[in-house]
Amino acid sequence: MPWGLVRVCQCLWLVAGLSWAEAATLTPNEAALYEAAKKEGEVTWYVGQFATDVAQQFGKNFTERYPGVKVNVYRATGQVVFQRLSQDMKAGVRQCDLFSSTDIGHSVYLKAQGQYLRYKPENAAGLIPAFQNIDPDGYYHTTQVNTVTILYNTDKVKPEEAPRKWTDLLDPKWKNKISLGHPGFSGTAGTWVLMMRELYGAGYMEKLAKNNPQAGRSLNDTITMLNAAERVVAAGPTATALRSIAKGNPMAIVYPEDGAVLQISVSAIVKDAPHPNAAKLFFEYLLSREHSVALAETYYELLRPDVDPAPGAKPMREFKIVQPTIEAIVKGIPEIKELWRDTIGN
Amino acid sequence: MRMTPPDSAGTTTIVPRVETRPDGATTWMRSFEPAMLLWLLLIAILAFLVLSPMLRLVFASFEDRVTGAFTLANYAEAYGRPRYVQALFNSLALGASVAVIATLFAVPIAWAISRTDMPAKGFIRMVVLGAFIMPPYLGAVAWMLLAGPNSGWLNRIWIGLTGAETGLFNIYSFTGLAFVIAVYSYPYIFVFTNAALDLVSSEMEDAANILGAGTWRTTLNITLPLVFPAILGGIIVVFLEAISLFGTPALLALPARFNVVTTQLWQFFEFPVKVETAAAYSMPLLFITIGLFGLQKLILARKGFVALTGKGGERRLIRLGPWRWVMFAYCMFIGALSVFGPVIVLAQAAFARAWGRGFSWANLTLRNFEYLLFEHDSARQSIVNSFTYAGATAFIAIGLALCIAYIVNRRLVPWGGVLAFMCMAPFVIPGIVLAIGFYAAYAPPPLALSGTATIMILAFATRFLPIAYANSAAGIRSINPEMEEAVRILGGGRLLAIRRVVAPLLKKSLVGGWILVFIPATRELSAAIFLAGPHNRVMSVLLYDLSEEGNFEVLSAFGGLLLVATLIVVAIGFRAIGRDFMLRGN
Repeated sequence: MPWGLVRVCQCLWLVAGLSWAEAATLTPNEAALYEAAKKEGEVTWYVGQFATDVAQQFGKNFTERYPGVKVNVYRATGQVVFQRLSQDMKAGVRQCDLFSSTDIGHSVYLKAQGQYLRYKPENAAGLIPAFQNIDPDGYYHTTQVNTVTILYNTDKVKPEEAPRKWTDLLDPKWKNKISLGHPGFSGTAGTWVLMMRELYGAGYMEKLAKNNPQAGRSLNDTITMLNAAERVVAAGPTATALRSIAKGNPMAIVYPEDGAVLQISVSAIVKDAPHPNAAKLFFEYLLSREHSVALAETYYELLRPDVDPAPGAKPMREFKIVQPTIEAIVKGIPEIKELWRDTIGN
Repeated sequence: MRMTPPDSAGTTTIVPRVETRPDGATTWMRSFEPAMLLWLLLIAILAFLVLSPMLRLVFASFEDRVTGAFTLANYAEAYGRPRYVQALFNSLALGASVAVIATLFAVPIAWAISRTDMPAKGFIRMVVLGAFIMPPYLGAVAWMLLAGPNSGWLNRIWIGLTGAETGLFNIYSFTGLAFVIAVYSYPYIFVFTNAALDLVSSEMEDAANILGAGTWRTTLNITLPLVFPAILGGIIVVFLEAISLFGTPALLALPARFNVVTTQLWQFFEFPVKVETAAAYSMPLLFITIGLFGLQKLILARKGFVALTGKGGERRLIRLGPWRWVMFAYCMFIGALSVFGPVIVLAQAAFARAWGRGFSWANLTLRNFEYLLFEHDSARQSIVNSFTYAGATAFIAIGLALCIAYIVNRRLVPWGGVLAFMCMAPFVIPGIVLAIGFYAAYAPPPLALSGTATIMILAFATRFLPIAYANSAAGIRSINPEMEEAVRILGGGRLLAIRRVVAPLLKKSLVGGWILVFIPATRELSAAIFLAGPHNRVMSVLLYDLSEEGNFEVLSAFGGLLLVATLIVVAIGFRAIGRDFMLRGN
């Protein structure tokens, strides 16, 4: 068959699954990855970065964009997906393709252990510069940015009474009223505790413990606790809170005066991934403009400058942000997990 | 899990075997070739399922994580921190508290059903069965909705009625945890006590009455002491259940911010995975279990208790008069705690947009089910997994147990007792410990079964082998070997005898055994949680994963699906083998 005809056939084949316009927008690298990914048929995504329904929606979006490649979403909290991956590795089992936890320390460690496949997605160049090149060697890349802010139930707490800054949570008036995530499970909760220790010392957790906070596992659990009025204030995830508010739940966000805690979460392809091409294609997709539009709809911080934020979401430049360094996270998270279990308990 | 009470009056037809078994070298030879091979095969299977994971566990506890060299460091690590040791004591205190509460729940019900003229006994039995088939972690979810300190239904009602500042109950506490576990484990004590009470004749009670003792005094001084060994057996099972349960503590103790042994074991599986430390840490659980069963055996061995001859004697029901309604109310109260209340709130949440908004048309939706069945990535898969794994588990466990029970009972091979012992051994291994043993033995290469259906099914089959064996052995014992001998005298082989005589006769008890393995296997969590990966998640594990984000509506809907599926299986069991097969005493 002459070469031209092959190309025509390929195009026709693509058209069968995609609209003409979309097929036309495939870059050569993308097209090649898609071809190879279709042969693999699926990609397994260990993800702690998004709430379950959101992560699954992203998987479906991907399959809609690239028919024939299914995403197996394995969603758990950041520490638990890492626990699963390290169990897999210890047992010599290859299941995970793309690994997206909420503790960058995992990626630093796995890269150092030679467990990552080096892949620099083309789309990484389109990210907001501050989120680019988190790993100078290009093994892992930013796929989610989130902040932890103060949340409260507006039925139970008047706006003027709500805490303004993190230290307000130590006020005895919040005794039995605070909801938190657990750093032993949630990477984002870990980053928040770490930041509190950095800002106010280990004493912060001891004082907070006196207020008898309730700790779920996922940071997203705080949203449930507030909506059920089981607890009335929380250190919780901004994006999930915004989605809950948009659904009509009685909740409000306070961007703390001493800084919303920013967390950059990264993803990487696992070495010896069973579906490497599908993983690369999916990685590209997570950094694409199309996906960023979906991200904006779910109120996660925008990864790219070329997408507008969702109505109601406050752009990051408009509030104060604090952020631990990667080094602090790598060293600090294991410490604060112990600190938590010694002070808060369990 | 169905338990075999110690005092079961056998359904067995005991036939002196001496006459029916020809002896001599020829018989030996005839049954030797296939039988001996079979014995070797079976012992190999049992070694693989039971012995190897347990030995691996013991060895792992003495191994260095990196080099594999002998070390005691794992024990030092496992017991070197006050927090870890505290968890151990928490578990013991939990087991004891649960045992006390469950006894208070179970014994009065068992007594009322067995000895008195309380009304609606059949209904109460159904309620106890309901508590029995409710997965404990689902009950825990229900109780979070009922007794969450601020948002729980009971507390909201209390606050609404009294205008109090805070609620009355806090399920996220040690007491709350002990209570919820007791609410779903008291049926064990019930089964044991009820079976024993059914066998006590009224004569001794009459004697007490004649000597002037009233109903209460007779009950407390005569009747209950008579069945004390049975109650004790139930208490031991409940104690062990309480300390080896993972799901309920994970849901309730974590927010309450204390630890028990099982949740601590789970922490050792955090990064870096410390299987070796977990192995060392699980030893007390193993020894406590073995020790308690040993103790039970010791107590039962003192035959002084045996007033339960299994023989006639007149049994008359005690007339309670107006008190029968008090007893009925008490039983209904326990029913409300274990079944009615939880099922109502679970159903409300399952069909609610937001459970906190209460009962209203506007709040009603099928969305949660739609999401689980049509949109959720792994919910459907996990349902399929649960039922196929449970089915496979039941076939393997019953098949294996039946072979062994037959061989042992008909004495086809020497040392049959070894086989029987190994079949019953998993009974004394807590599920969570078994899972860690399985993980240590078969997750790493060369078998590399981590995250596969195989490891899940094998672990389940091992875990429920004792139930299967107890059932099969009882079934086989009830078949008089003469019938098989007849086939053989007429020239048929043993296989023909099994196929045409034994199998048809056993059909009913096999179905019963199959279901008794199938049901606990569909809801198993303590072992599954350590062996699950993204592709072999079962419903219980997914339910636990779903609970991370605290989405009670979806959680309740999913629990509802599990419950409905279980009820269907139980209903099939009822049709096939008659009601009450799960609470039956023998």
